[in-house]
Amino acid sequence: MYLTKLKRMVFIPLAQLIFIKLVFFCSLQGDYPSKPITVIVPFAAGGGSDVFVRIFQNAIRKNNLCPQPIVIKNIAGAGGTIGSRSAKNATPDGHTILCLHDGIYTAQHYGNADWGPNNFEPIAATGRSGVVVAVGEDSPYSSLNELMEEAKDRPYQLVYGTNLGAPNHYSALFLQNGKSGAKFRFTQTGGGAKRLAQLKGGHIDLTGFSVAEYQQFKDAGIKALASLGEERESSFPNLTTALEQEVRATHDLMQFWWAPQNTPPERIAYLQNLLAEAMATREIKESFQNLHMDPVLQVGQDLLKTIADRSQKLQGITIDKPTALPPLEWIILGITVICFVFVLRESKSA
Amino acid sequence: MIDLFTTPGILWLVFLGTTLGITVGAIPGLTGTMLIALSLPLTFSMEPVSGLVLLVAMYVGAVSGGLISATLLRMPGTPAAIMTTLDGFPMATSGQPGRALGLGVGASLIGGMVSWFALWQLAEPMADLSTKLGPFELFSLVILALAMLAGIGDSTRARGLLAGSLGVLVAMPGMHPASGELRWTFGLTFMNEGFRLIPVLIGMFAIGKILQDVTSKDGKIEEVSGNDSAWISFSVWIANTFNLIRSSLIGTFIGILPGIGANIGSLAAYMAAKRGSKTPEKFGNGSEEGIIASEAANNATVGGALIPLISLGIPGSVIGAVLLGALIVHGLQPGPLLFRQNPEAVHAIIGTVLVANVMMFLIMIGCAKWIAKLSSIPKKILFPLVTGCCIWGAYALNGMWFDVLVMLIFGIIGWQMEKARLPLAAFVIGFVLAPIAEENLCAGLMASGGSYLPLLTRPISLCLLSTSVILIIWKRKRKESNTDQPQS
Repeated sequence: MYLTKLKRMVFIPLAQLIFIKLVFFCSLQGDYPSKPITVIVPFAAGGGSDVFVRIFQNAIRKNNLCPQPIVIKNIAGAGGTIGSRSAKNATPDGHTILCLHDGIYTAQHYGNADWGPNNFEPIAATGRSGVVVAVGEDSPYSSLNELMEEAKDRPYQLVYGTNLGAPNHYSALFLQNGKSGAKFRFTQTGGGAKRLAQLKGGHIDLTGFSVAEYQQFKDAGIKALASLGEERESSFPNLTTALEQEVRATHDLMQFWWAPQNTPPERIAYLQNLLAEAMATREIKESFQNLHMDPVLQVGQDLLKTIADRSQKLQGITIDKPTALPPLEWIILGITVICFVFVLRESKSA
Repeated sequence: MIDLFTTPGILWLVFLGTTLGITVGAIPGLTGTMLIALSLPLTFSMEPVSGLVLLVAMYVGAVSGGLISATLLRMPGTPAAIMTTLDGFPMATSGQPGRALGLGVGASLIGGMVSWFALWQLAEPMADLSTKLGPFELFSLVILALAMLAGIGDSTRARGLLAGSLGVLVAMPGMHPASGELRWTFGLTFMNEGFRLIPVLIGMFAIGKILQDVTSKDGKIEEVSGNDSAWISFSVWIANTFNLIRSSLIGTFIGILPGIGANIGSLAAYMAAKRGSKTPEKFGNGSEEGIIASEAANNATVGGALIPLISLGIPGSVIGAVLLGALIVHGLQPGPLLFRQNPEAVHAIIGTVLVANVMMFLIMIGCAKWIAKLSSIPKKILFPLVTGCCIWGAYALNGMWFDVLVMLIFGIIGWQMEKARLPLAAFVIGFVLAPIAEENLCAGLMASGGSYLPLLTRPISLCLLSTSVILIIWKRKRKESNTDQPQS
């Protein structure tokens, strides 16, 4: 009895103290990073986000900015929520971080994730990408305002191709809010390339692209009506903004780096410094130019403000549920049962 | 273009890429997508053209390599080789493994060449044509493919449909492919994506086969043995000219359609060959036409998938998406201007499809004798090896043990289905196609405001749907077996 009490009162706190000191000592000793830093990319290899992180990986390696390699782990699926969840639950030692754009806000708002920016320690925002609204080459609309008037006069008629629940969907929702009474009919079209194919084939009336996607697709038979930035995009100085066309909508995309909650602040500072150094390299500057991204770098108060603003902006958005879809899962279940009965009959008669 | 491929360095890269591709393609569990994604960072330090050559060669190799394990072990190394298992393995177990390999390799070469020609000469018009297919047309195309499941392998019609609909059912949990809402996930986040293709595929085929062989007590294991030549006489190819061309064209065109890719390409070509054959009863029992159709079509999808990639910047397959990333990393702007701005990159891609296909043929035919010996590795060495690769492959996919668990569970399901004589190929194809069908149907319905009418008023869609119906009626008359409705 006495021994257990002693154990509880002396040994355990002592052990804890030593342990904490040891951990603290190690971190003070600059023992971080002691192993490769894993960046979780919640999308498939080869996609936009993956390429973005690989550019950093490459720049950091080439310029020897970090004693440990950067390792990319693609945990794709379900609009980035599977990867972001696994990053949220990772050991908060700075060796596992997440790179995820505005999808972290929209997935939470859309209801596909019950976690969001508040469940992470933000590290930095690196890079901003503009958004462009585009229609097919032979579309009757030559300005965004004209199109929005149409969407107001005939609500739910113009078909807007989006990736439901993703930032691209929210560009469209902001656009709708920018002109009271305007409504689109949303349909699921998936990523940028699929939206191009559908726009070209006349299956949708309009859609949104990132500036980089638009640059890539603009000669494939589509035209842009407006950009959604506060100011015109430097890559397309002749393209007017929605604001200039009296549609009060703005949207853009930023890439954010997140660490699991309770990651030690000095490790976050190390990562911020690492990303800042990478941003200053020639490789990153060139790549950003190729990707038509603005080389924005935000940390500290600026970053917190950006995150708060973006979360705030979504609060004003309500989502009309899309067209009622057939309950295919139950139909399939029914068909399976029918087939099963047939097979049973067949085996009995055989 | 010719200058490029007379450089020893480039030829070496094609050789390296093709060999690596064949190797991962042949190993159940490892896929070309993984190889290419892993190699992508290595190409950063290369010249853009060299990097693209290496990656495209890997793509060609990986699609071709799948036929090795599909033929010798009845384990498709890649999803594209599922149909090859149906006839390749029976032919190999009947004492002709060399011949089965030779047919597959030769057909792969022809399929690759035909699609290369389309890529070289017809890229722009074909890519434009493919954008005319909207969600309703793609949905009807998938329905046509699902209707074909009824006659798959040597199983009865009801069993084919049951296996197919079970596959569709298993594809239901996870994020709704159109609305993005979650369904049947029981609140578990790791279920949000549902079951993934690779764990399901290798579980059903590889783990299932191992369980079946290990537990078979009466020693009725189908053994691949024989030492025949892989050289197929010219007369066989002449006799199959029509089949080869038809399968290659089907593969090329289906390869263009985003997301549909190699699986439907080989299924459609296989079923077309079966319907057009004088000896359809041989299909599923080692038919040479079946091997040829499947392999010509799946290699043809490679060139097909590259068509929208280089002419529009739209990837036609998962690997296409990775290649698109590679172009961007190398500072090239994919899209319609690529031809004008970086002709050397486009020529490198197109040329590699041709050179890598020839290289693949030479490597595989040259090594066929040794490759065929793979099946004589004792099972007690082979099985742990394959199981290890499968576990590694499933885990490496996303670094999640859940995928490994899924693979093992589907191994048991596959083993039991085999016992119940339910065709695994139908199950997996149903599984692959379900989300594509659902996404397109729902996208179409959202765009039409809930009306199903465009399914019948759009000519291509009407044509595809009526073909599915005709296929079913025709089948009924011929076999007079039990009937039930097609899946929708």
